[in-house]
Amino acid sequence: MFATSVKPAIETFGLSKQYAKGDKFALRKLNITIMSGEVYGFLGPNGAGKSTTIRLLMNFIQPSEGHAQIHGLNVVSDSVEAKKIVGYLAGEFAYYPRMTGGQFLAYLSELQPPKHKSQMDRLARLFDVPLNRRLSDLSKGNRQKIAVIQALMAEPDVLILDEPTSGLDPLMQEVFYDQIRQSKKRGATVFFSSHDLSEVQKICDRVGFIRGGELIAEQTIGQLSKSAVQTYHISFATDAPLAALRRLKGVKVSGNTPQHATVKVRGDLRPLFSLLSKCPVNAIDRQDIELEEEFLRYYQRGAK
Amino acid sequence: MRPIIGWTLRQKRLSMIWWSVGLVAFISLEMSVYPTIKDQSNNLNNLIKNLPSTVKSLFGAQDLFSPVGYVNSHIFYLLIPLMLAILAIGLGGTLIAKEESDSTIELLLSRPVSRGRLLVAKALGGLMVLAIVSVVATAAIVVWGKAAGLEIPIPRLAFASLEQAVLATLFGALAFAIAATGRWGRRASVGVASLIGLGSYIIASLESSVRWLSWPAKLLPYHYYNPPAALNGSYQWKVTGVFAAMSLALIVVSYFIFRDRDLSGS
Repeated sequence: MFATSVKPAIETFGLSKQYAKGDKFALRKLNITIMSGEVYGFLGPNGAGKSTTIRLLMNFIQPSEGHAQIHGLNVVSDSVEAKKIVGYLAGEFAYYPRMTGGQFLAYLSELQPPKHKSQMDRLARLFDVPLNRRLSDLSKGNRQKIAVIQALMAEPDVLILDEPTSGLDPLMQEVFYDQIRQSKKRGATVFFSSHDLSEVQKICDRVGFIRGGELIAEQTIGQLSKSAVQTYHISFATDAPLAALRRLKGVKVSGNTPQHATVKVRGDLRPLFSLLSKCPVNAIDRQDIELEEEFLRYYQRGAK
Repeated sequence: MRPIIGWTLRQKRLSMIWWSVGLVAFISLEMSVYPTIKDQSNNLNNLIKNLPSTVKSLFGAQDLFSPVGYVNSHIFYLLIPLMLAILAIGLGGTLIAKEESDSTIELLLSRPVSRGRLLVAKALGGLMVLAIVSVVATAAIVVWGKAAGLEIPIPRLAFASLEQAVLATLFGALAFAIAATGRWGRRASVGVASLIGLGSYIIASLESSVRWLSWPAKLLPYHYYNPPAALNGSYQWKVTGVFAAMSLALIVVSYFIFRDRDLSGS
């Protein structure tokens, strides 16, 4: 019953953007449907078309072809109505340097009144950011917290976030992820761009890969973790058990010294860790998932 | 819309104070010497008669030392409208444009605020800044007029002030419309509007002595700007109305330019 009542929150229909005639399309025929309550990660390298998509959804730029809807509202013709339910965070946080954090958030609250007035202070406490200091005097990390707060404080139904965690320290990233989970819990839809696959894996339900302005693939997180290659740098107290490692299914040993191995694993991690549990391991360091590698895989698959 | 106007005024409050201080200081300087000149006005006027007409027209009047001649040439013809025009062009060229180049415009437009409303709010904010500074300047002219024994009725001074403020608004609106076109307009707005403003003044003031300029001068607003008429009691409502209507038309043009174009960062 619930499944049928879930409606699309964000839909794009052949959405395309060409900045100038004769230029390459920055975004080409994007068709995505994000359901209400879904957390959707939009992944791609710089210049892939992530920000273009977001700026089109926000009606900052006009589509060359196609259109998009937020909760059934056309993002161009019903832009004002749509923005009543949207919280937005830009990739590069723009701010008024002479405003204090408090003034800044109060100003934006006047333009989009929050459902609960206490929300601003609650988030400021949660993110541990001073509101009485000028934005120009805050560190980059603290300013990014203000940027996150301004997007979340109206408790919007749809959150559109362009690389929201860039500049946040790991602790605050966790606070942010928690807020995203809570937003999801109250039924909000989250669309966010990132170039960090591990981040996306933590909080997203589904991921879209974009490259060169085109959507290459869409996967649920379950499918993704099964297929993604993960790289571990492992140091041993004794000689590395290279032969045993090489025998494991889905494991490739890509580089090593006598007491160190760099291991790439695709799929199930249990065989690797069950082997490691029997070895004198000094340190395991996980390398961030290489997005380019994932892309290449999708790209090659698409080309076949 | 109110929060945007409020914040615009707040952002511009220091600039408003400094412009007001500057204008009042300038008016005070000009008006404080008037009593000394008043007594010798006949002699001085005779002296001026011998200057070439081109030089005289640059001051805006042939008669420089009667009450109307003095106030016109020292206050209304050039310096105050020029200063107000600089203020207006500065505002017109930055109100929307600075928000756009700083990308703060995205913060505002990510809220349920239409581009039209944002544009109107910014234009109104700018108009208020100009109005406040103009009112301060007018008050200074009136007070000093009384103190210096200038025999021009207050309504005439007020109308001449209104006329110069509306002329300045027209140049400001021109800058606003040029800046609304985007990245290139933003860079060109202040220069182009200043060029038209200053060029218009130079051409209009020379047209009486340089015959061939009289036709192009008719295309420029300064040609119709005539503060001595107001100071002598003939209010040019039509000219002021046309300046105001043109300013409004430029704001409407800005809206159509800005309504559905791509926002551009720096």
